[in-house]
Amino acid sequence: MPPVTPGLRARGLSYHYGGQRVLHQIAFQLRPGSLTALVGPNGAGKSTLLHLLQGQLQPSAGTVELDGAPVRRCRRRIALMPQKGEIDWHFPITVAEFAGLGRLVSPRAGCCDVDGALQRVGLGAMAGKRLDQLSGGQQQRALLGRTLVQPAEVLLLDEPCAAIDPPSRQQLLGLMRQLSDAGLTLLVSSHDWGPALNAYDRVLVLDQVLRADGTPDQVRQALDDVTMGNHCCG
Amino acid sequence: MSWWILPLLLALLTGALCPISGALLIVQGRVMQANLISHAVLPGLALAVAFGLPPNVGGSISGLLGALVAERLLGGHRQNAANHGAVMNTVLAGFLGLGVLLVPLLGIRVDLEATLFGDLLLTRPVDLLQAGGGLLLQGLFFAACYRPLVFLSVDPMGAAASGLPLRALKLALAGITAFVIVSSMAAVGVVLVVGLMCAPALVGLAGATSLRQAVLRASAAGMALSGGGFLLALLLNLPPGPLIGVLCMGLVVVRRGC
Repeated sequence: MPPVTPGLRARGLSYHYGGQRVLHQIAFQLRPGSLTALVGPNGAGKSTLLHLLQGQLQPSAGTVELDGAPVRRCRRRIALMPQKGEIDWHFPITVAEFAGLGRLVSPRAGCCDVDGALQRVGLGAMAGKRLDQLSGGQQQRALLGRTLVQPAEVLLLDEPCAAIDPPSRQQLLGLMRQLSDAGLTLLVSSHDWGPALNAYDRVLVLDQVLRADGTPDQVRQALDDVTMGNHCCG
Repeated sequence: MSWWILPLLLALLTGALCPISGALLIVQGRVMQANLISHAVLPGLALAVAFGLPPNVGGSISGLLGALVAERLLGGHRQNAANHGAVMNTVLAGFLGLGVLLVPLLGIRVDLEATLFGDLLLTRPVDLLQAGGGLLLQGLFFAACYRPLVFLSVDPMGAAASGLPLRALKLALAGITAFVIVSSMAAVGVVLVVGLMCAPALVGLAGATSLRQAVLRASAAGMALSGGGFLLALLLNLPPGPLIGVLCMGLVVVRRGC
């Protein structure tokens, strides 16, 4: 039997919807404790890929494995932080109760309890506030706090830095680095093609197929030739 | 015992009962389903009367069936909001028409006016029992499924990803909504019940810090509206159901004006 490779692995992953190709033959592996950016233009399939990796969607072809096991057997070890637009921010709920919903996924403890998660994302003092009293950046951090309460080793974050100001973005990036240093595996989708990419260990560039894969500098250099930079927002 | 005690108690129970379902449906963006169910109970009521079965059971089953038919017609395709409303309203009209047609076809006598708009003055002890049962059932459901309901409402995609039995949860909510509607029929009728589900719920949801708090506030507002409406109807010698419906609208107008 071949040795089991640790981490999250996608092999020949394809996805079609309504007869249209959304993703084609995606293959990569994320090692434990890594911080990886997933960038690409609108419609590149970033969110679809994250949903496939979490096991919410079934691929048309290919497989996803975590530590050698099919993802459907270990979905609870992978947490997906959705885009901000998918949440009803006017729902009557406090920040603490919202973060506590992460516990519904599994009774096992995550890397933090609710208080710990809120402290970690810098919202400890706002635990009793309603969600719609938070700023955009704080709402993103509340979502991340809920994700941290889940007992997951892999965090898939869908555009956590979208529509937030540069200081909040820096704070979030710093927090993500802390989490990866603590051993969690992070894959973060983003439109950000600017200097913020340097915060990541590795960058995957997606546009239905995997266009580039490497360190931020390697990817920038590689993409100069295929003019991907024209598509992405800085 | 004074003759108005039973109707007042039913008005209070109905006022407490309806906004709970209403609040849950509002936060999930599914109020249209309540409207559909309220009209879809009619064929079941008619059939139950024709075959000597309890009308509330027939109505609940029929209401749930209406919700399932609409869900089936909407399922499998991504529907935009306009299509969604169109399908829901068409199913609503179909079930309402079927209910009205069944009355002469089955040769039964149904007081359609009381069914549609309620008649608190005809309250029987069994109506109280039914509304009390509805309140108990709904309270148990709310308590047992509170956190999954919150998750489903605030983040439907996240709730789906978490592996919660969302289909069963939605089906249970539709079934309970149908039971709440038939339980409230005697007080406000199947047409006006939607007002009593929504107006107090909107008041309860405003500024609440939890769904639990919103539901308690909504129930209190519903009791005030319904009980107050009944007493005002007595004072003004007007039919209570329609007056409660008008008060519900008035509450929303006043709230908007504030």
